[in-house]
Amino acid sequence: MSIIKTFKSSAWLGWEMESNWANPFLFALYSIARPIAGIFLVVLMYWFIDAPEDLFALMFVGSVFYMYIFNVLFGVSWVIQEDREHYKVLKYIFMAPSNIYFYLLGRAFSKTIITTFAVLITLLFGALFLDVKIIFEKPLFFLLSFILGIIGIAAFGIIMAGISLLLVRHNFYIGESLAGVFYLFCGVIFPLSVLPSWGQSFSKLLPMTYWLEATRRSLLGFGDSSLNGITDLHIFRNLLMFGIGFLILSLISFKYCTDLAKKRGILDMTTWH
Amino acid sequence: MNNFERNLRAIYARAYVRIAGTNRELSWIFFTVFLPLLGISAYIYVYKATADPEILNSLLTRVIIGGATLAFWMNVLWGMGNTFYWEKEQGNLDLFFMAPISRTSILLGMALGGMFSTTIRAIATIFLGAFIFKISFTLQSPLLLIVTFVLTMIALYGLGMLFASLFLMYGRGSWHVTNLLQEPIFLLSGFYFPIKFLGFHIAFIASIIPLSLGLDSMNQLIGGNFAQEWALMPLKIELLALGVLSVLFFYLAIKSLDYMENLAKKEGRLTLKYL
Amino acid sequence: MCGVYYYFFKLLIEFNAMPSIAIEIKNLIRYFETGKETVKALDGINLQIKTGELFGLLGSNGSGKTTLIKILCTLLYPTSGEAFVSGINVVKEPEKIRGKINMVAGEETSGYGILTVRENIWLFSQLYGIESRLAKKRIDELLELLGLTKRAHTRIHKISTGERQKMNLCRGLVTDPDVLFLDEPTVGVDVNSGRTIRDYLLKWMKNNRKTILLTTHNMVEAEEICDRVAIIDEGKILALDTPSNLKQMLKNETILELETDIIKNLSFKYKFSKVDNHEKKISNLRFFLKDESTISDIISELSKKGVKIKSLHKSESKLEDIFIQLVGKNINE
Repeated sequence: MSIIKTFKSSAWLGWEMESNWANPFLFALYSIARPIAGIFLVVLMYWFIDAPEDLFALMFVGSVFYMYIFNVLFGVSWVIQEDREHYKVLKYIFMAPSNIYFYLLGRAFSKTIITTFAVLITLLFGALFLDVKIIFEKPLFFLLSFILGIIGIAAFGIIMAGISLLLVRHNFYIGESLAGVFYLFCGVIFPLSVLPSWGQSFSKLLPMTYWLEATRRSLLGFGDSSLNGITDLHIFRNLLMFGIGFLILSLISFKYCTDLAKKRGILDMTTWH
Repeated sequence: MNNFERNLRAIYARAYVRIAGTNRELSWIFFTVFLPLLGISAYIYVYKATADPEILNSLLTRVIIGGATLAFWMNVLWGMGNTFYWEKEQGNLDLFFMAPISRTSILLGMALGGMFSTTIRAIATIFLGAFIFKISFTLQSPLLLIVTFVLTMIALYGLGMLFASLFLMYGRGSWHVTNLLQEPIFLLSGFYFPIKFLGFHIAFIASIIPLSLGLDSMNQLIGGNFAQEWALMPLKIELLALGVLSVLFFYLAIKSLDYMENLAKKEGRLTLKYL
Repeated sequence: MCGVYYYFFKLLIEFNAMPSIAIEIKNLIRYFETGKETVKALDGINLQIKTGELFGLLGSNGSGKTTLIKILCTLLYPTSGEAFVSGINVVKEPEKIRGKINMVAGEETSGYGILTVRENIWLFSQLYGIESRLAKKRIDELLELLGLTKRAHTRIHKISTGERQKMNLCRGLVTDPDVLFLDEPTVGVDVNSGRTIRDYLLKWMKNNRKTILLTTHNMVEAEEICDRVAIIDEGKILALDTPSNLKQMLKNETILELETDIIKNLSFKYKFSKVDNHEKKISNLRFFLKDESTISDIISELSKKGVKIKSLHKSESKLEDIFIQLVGKNINE
């Protein structure tokens, strides 16, 4: 089965699973309400302590785009758990001539599209009601870094998906938990200068740090002050390296985990408890 | 064997599944104990970056207590609230509902079983958080803190049972609605900031969520003067309200479970998968 | 001595306290609204099953068997009509019935993959309030009887389908129900194990005056073990009697059995059933004839259609023949 066909079918499946539980109106309401409600926790924290405007703007953009990190990371790794434990179709997907790697990429793609709606709605909400000044001054830089960032996130999600093949289903999921690493170390909701020095050094090893910085520079015209010494080109180069690196790593690790799961005979185990 | 003994056995049996499952693969210790601490640390750093040093300790205390309580809330919501949904999808719901036990005993068993890992997570959050970020707690009355915590949990688990009843009738729809409500409930419960900041009227309405009152009360007992300045209501009133909510949610849960079960049986949805 | 007499009289009282009718169904109707249409799953079922009876319910897919069982198991309400198990109304007093019943369905996926076979059965025994020591004793006996002792400590996500079904059966029997509902229980189980299961169930039933309601596609099984059989189609009971009496319905008919080359599609003016044996490359055709003189017509028609007949003989009626006569199609269609 062609790669494109696999990708398209799984993207369609991802969309259906996210949307066909409700009528279109209710789904639209859910799609608007959920991201805005999600962002408000940190918004209210910042209002409570009366934080400066620029910090608020940095936090806002960081939180909005973090939705991609969380949804795609969690969404892709969750596919394994869901298809294995709930719908019990994982073994059939593995048996099919289609490439499961591209099946997962397709699911990541549909998650990305759905999240994009949420991101746009929330950005609009922020610009209209929360006084966040979106200037969008580097569209090409934004587009290229956005694509590379999403590739990197999806690849990381596939690494997590591979690991999920080997784990039982506990309540809190691997993708969700690891998204917490990025939440803390990528300066999503606070400036990186607050982290201890080892934390700041670690954050500079994470591609999502650069991705969020590129996004902030493109949309706000400024970024995290602790990254001021890093040029746009440097950021782009890092994203390219990490994007390709994670992609290659995801191919290797997913294959390894799949082989291990097959060897252990746990590809179709059900472990709900 | 009388009904009470039988239900106790059912609670034990369902809890056993959870505990045995948790202990047969220990990856949860890393993924659900240590990693969530990172998310909580992010909120700590928000305050470290922006808050007045004089009130910082009180705010960080609030975040740590909120983070620890979050573990229980997630257990209630996803560990117990959607139990029936997952049992139905796995094919166990028929068997549970055919057995001569009450529905609440299945849910309680699930909740108690999940308590093990949840409690470890909560304790790790408090101790590690306090240790790493050098937070000091101004504990006024340990006994009162325990009472507050217990009352909050009882009311919270009652609310969880109420959610669970929805899953009998509405499968995936309930799942998505619960997902949708998760964020507003974080917002309105004052996990990371005092709910009084929302304005007294909104906060008062929000106090129907047991977490709002519970967190507010616990912060009054442990967060020092700043926390008490931002308290929604006096402690005694909040404790009384928690007591009322405990009874109310359990009563509503039992009624709702009965109602939803009957409705689901009437419409033929009780054992229908992939709804 | 007094203890023995007491125990004996207690058993006698309990035995006699069992109602003579285990299951009674009165004009049971069940509709399902699917948004676009209304499906009538049960259309006025009337039935009485005696205590100690092994009652078979035969029907093709979608005939209403599982819907009926779900109502009797208190998992579904009827749209109208009444149903009683051990004299108790399934809608009005379901909690009184639950301790007396159990259900095992074919290809059941219940249980927890992370627990062992023994643990899964124990778990469900606890829901019925069976004291752990007694539960473990029963589990050991059942596992041995069904050949699962070696797998007792294996996590169920590692056992085969047949083993899982045997485990499900253990789960159903461990609670020692008065009424056991078996919804195609031998699906996925090998022939020898299926026989073992049937033999065990018969013995268990007879020794303890238990009642079984069995739904099955396996006609041979139904014929062999059921005391009475009902044929259900589109929510209605078309026939109800002992297997031998049902076969007598065709006593005035001749059954002509033919072996031919494999036929893919065949439409014929006479009612027939067809079973293909791909290994031997033959089709077995059974015709139900009121008049033996039509045999020559059948042979002539088959020849015109180019069908090569390899053998031909008259045979006795089977339960499957009755099913086809009444329902108009094979049970597996």
